Amino acid sequence: MVVQKTVAELNYGLSLPHRKMEDWRWTDLRQLVDKPYPPRQTVVAAPKDVERLLKSSPFAKVAGSRLVFVNGHLSLENSETGLVQQSKGKILGVATQISTDEPVITMNAAFATDGARLKISGTTDTPIELLFLATNADARTIATRNVIEIEKGAAATLIETHLGEGTYLSNSVTEIRVGEGARLDRIKVELEAADAIHLAHTHTTLGKNTVFNDFTLTSGAKTNRQNGTVEFKGQGTEARVSGAYMLGGKQHADTRLLIDHQVPHCTSREIFKCVMDDNARGIFQGKVIVQRDAQKTDGKQSSHALLLSETAEFDAKPELEIFADDVVCGHGATSGDLNHDHLFYLMSRGIPPAEAKSLLIATFVGEAFDLIAHEGIKEALVKFSNKWLSQHRRAS
Amino acid sequence: MADLDTIELVKDIEVDKYKYGFTSDIETDYAPKGLNEDIVKFISAKKGEPAWMLEWRLEAYRRWLQMDEPAWARVSFPKIDFQDLYYYAAPKSMANPKSLDEIDPRLLETYAKLGIPLKEQEILAGVRKQGEKSTLDDDGNEVVAGRVAIDAVFDSVSVVTTFKAELAKAGVIFCSISEALREHPELVKKYLGSVVPQGDNFYAALNAAVFSDGSFVYVPPNTRCPMELSTYFRMNAKNTGQFERTLIIADKGSYVSYLEGCTAPMREESQLHAAVVELIALDDAEIKYSTVQNWYPGDAEGKGGVYNFVTKRGDCRGRSAKISWTQVETGSAITWKYPSCILRGDNSRGEFYSIAISNGRQQVDSGTKMIHLGKNTSSRIISKGIAAGRSDNTYRGLVSAHRKATNARNFTQCDSLLIGDKCGAHTVPYIEAKTLSAQFEHEATTSKISDDQMFYCMSRGLSQEEAVALIVNGFVRDVLQQLPMEFMAETQKLIGISLEGSVG
Repeated sequence: MVVQKTVAELNYGLSLPHRKMEDWRWTDLRQLVDKPYPPRQTVVAAPKDVERLLKSSPFAKVAGSRLVFVNGHLSLENSETGLVQQSKGKILGVATQISTDEPVITMNAAFATDGARLKISGTTDTPIELLFLATNADARTIATRNVIEIEKGAAATLIETHLGEGTYLSNSVTEIRVGEGARLDRIKVELEAADAIHLAHTHTTLGKNTVFNDFTLTSGAKTNRQNGTVEFKGQGTEARVSGAYMLGGKQHADTRLLIDHQVPHCTSREIFKCVMDDNARGIFQGKVIVQRDAQKTDGKQSSHALLLSETAEFDAKPELEIFADDVVCGHGATSGDLNHDHLFYLMSRGIPPAEAKSLLIATFVGEAFDLIAHEGIKEALVKFSNKWLSQHRRAS
Repeated sequence: MADLDTIELVKDIEVDKYKYGFTSDIETDYAPKGLNEDIVKFISAKKGEPAWMLEWRLEAYRRWLQMDEPAWARVSFPKIDFQDLYYYAAPKSMANPKSLDEIDPRLLETYAKLGIPLKEQEILAGVRKQGEKSTLDDDGNEVVAGRVAIDAVFDSVSVVTTFKAELAKAGVIFCSISEALREHPELVKKYLGSVVPQGDNFYAALNAAVFSDGSFVYVPPNTRCPMELSTYFRMNAKNTGQFERTLIIADKGSYVSYLEGCTAPMREESQLHAAVVELIALDDAEIKYSTVQNWYPGDAEGKGGVYNFVTKRGDCRGRSAKISWTQVETGSAITWKYPSCILRGDNSRGEFYSIAISNGRQQVDSGTKMIHLGKNTSSRIISKGIAAGRSDNTYRGLVSAHRKATNARNFTQCDSLLIGDKCGAHTVPYIEAKTLSAQFEHEATTSKISDDQMFYCMSRGLSQEEAVALIVNGFVRDVLQQLPMEFMAETQKLIGISLEGSVG
């Protein structure tokens, strides 16, 4: 069957994924990428726009060093390199370890204009922030590719923030390697412009005895698709991958997470808390693979959805693929609205309905924030969540 | 290491222990090999069907020609040559027998050998033959087996249906679908294909074109079917596909419990079985459908065995209707089967209880779909998968609530048990909630028999085999309890055979 190419596909010279592809069944990019977003456009940003966006980052005061990318290019004058030594050269082309048949990566490989390359050795408590800004201009694709390497025994906290204004498609691919005995806490916050499309792929490989904590807050963009792959390459490793959705309007967010246990004695935990209001649609597809040799794996996954309106939707596909017998694996998925008993309890204590609801939603999402070790970051997220809740507060 | 020994023991389970693997030497009438419109016409003519039925079949055949085989299931097998199969096979002596006495004694012998007593006097004694030891006897519980009406299907035709007269008194129609097409065409025309339409999927379309027999049940309003109904499917002829079609209608306020059992001879070539089952429950009606599927699973190297590609779907068409599927899947080389419920009527309820055991090289891809359309609908899924040997066992299911399905409720539990390190257990659930008042809960676990459990049992003086048996039986208990009494004993035995060596 010959399918006619969409305008966006013709413009890209690439095929976009569609819902006949199993991984994209709920996110049909052929439809959702509704117009051409020409790649590699040079857009000069007005300093006041950049300043406004920088100020709107929830982590403006938390990060110690910061690399700022404006419209797909590193902007040194806005960055605070501090701890980080300036990187040399651009990272383009396809990194060897990532599979290339993933549409997001293919697109990125073709259109990436810049990206961060971080190599972290030693231990630091101060978070390092990678900030990706898009200023208001004609619709376009902004693609960046990052490579982050945590060297043997090192420990770091990394924040990745996506902010923007206007109409654009942002494509972000990040490759992370955590070396033996190292620790990485990564916090990604996606607050793209209301009319933006955000596509991301993060590929993480974990060495022996490493600790990897990953948290993603998804609250921006009209269409959102984030892929994550975590590969366990060394024994004794622990990974906690968590996330929260705070969606309203007609937002669409889809997370595809692949946890690949290749070696024995590793632990993985995933917890996703998804709040959908109005006509928003949240999707969580999590797959845990335990390969033949990965005995003694302990893997647990859970995704919970809270629907705040009659027209909100949640779809989930929590998958297990197990080839080793001596493992403990499980997943849980729930979907529903606020517990009426809880609401009744709070109201009977004199708390007004709207406030009682906010309180319950905040607690629901808060469980995902609790996994973040850095207090400053956690506070910033709670502040953001309270702001979101006050905007979506209503009694009925 | 206890678990290592268990693996050793399980490893030996050859499927030559499949005790139903004999063939019966019965003269068989075949349709010419291959599939084309003439074969469809041949089958329809053989059955003396009305013209609309032939049209319906041909429509299905034409749709089938346009379709591709589904490739999404987690199973792999060589491509089937649909032109290299017989689509109709019937024992020769079978020209409309009036009573059991006219039936080829070798046929009766076959059923007797399978432990299926056809003669009513035998049935009166219960499903088990007299003097046969029940596996439950050890507990000191005397099992009182109820009476069961049986429709026996041999290759492509229904051999005999028992207890018809007594059922007719209650107004229940229980006969082969060919007979129903002749005697009750209005009922068949009204409901056939209304749950699984001709073009539903590749195998369902194939079935609609060439189905040769199956059971038909109609329970009139406000009637509780006086006994359990049952169909026994037996494949015998070589290179033959079996395509049966079952249609069960429970009219307002009625209740019926239906059992299905299947076996096939051991053959080196794989056999295709593509059945369609349609259930329709009207207002306040309840259908309980239980299957013990024990088709030949192939030998230890995966040679031979039955490809079981079945479409089963129930439609809770009325208010407060209930459909419950219980399945015990121990046989078949490949199982591709998703008994589903469409919860259309308000307050309707769907249930799915499953035990799927795979061993040797068996591949199981099974699960259910619960589609919530009506208000206050509820569903429950309990699936227990046990994988041993080099088998792959997948649960694949969908739970969805449409926008108008307010207060829909689902609880899903999928547990997998792995025995040995060469097998795989997979869980692929899909959850789609389109209304906030739908409460969906899904949980899945995968584990092996823990050393602690084994240690605990063995420290109480149980042998290793007894301990494994106890734990596996405990693992599947939630589902076992859903089976009608008649099947419970058989199932416990089957689990024993399927996992012989580890279960006492």
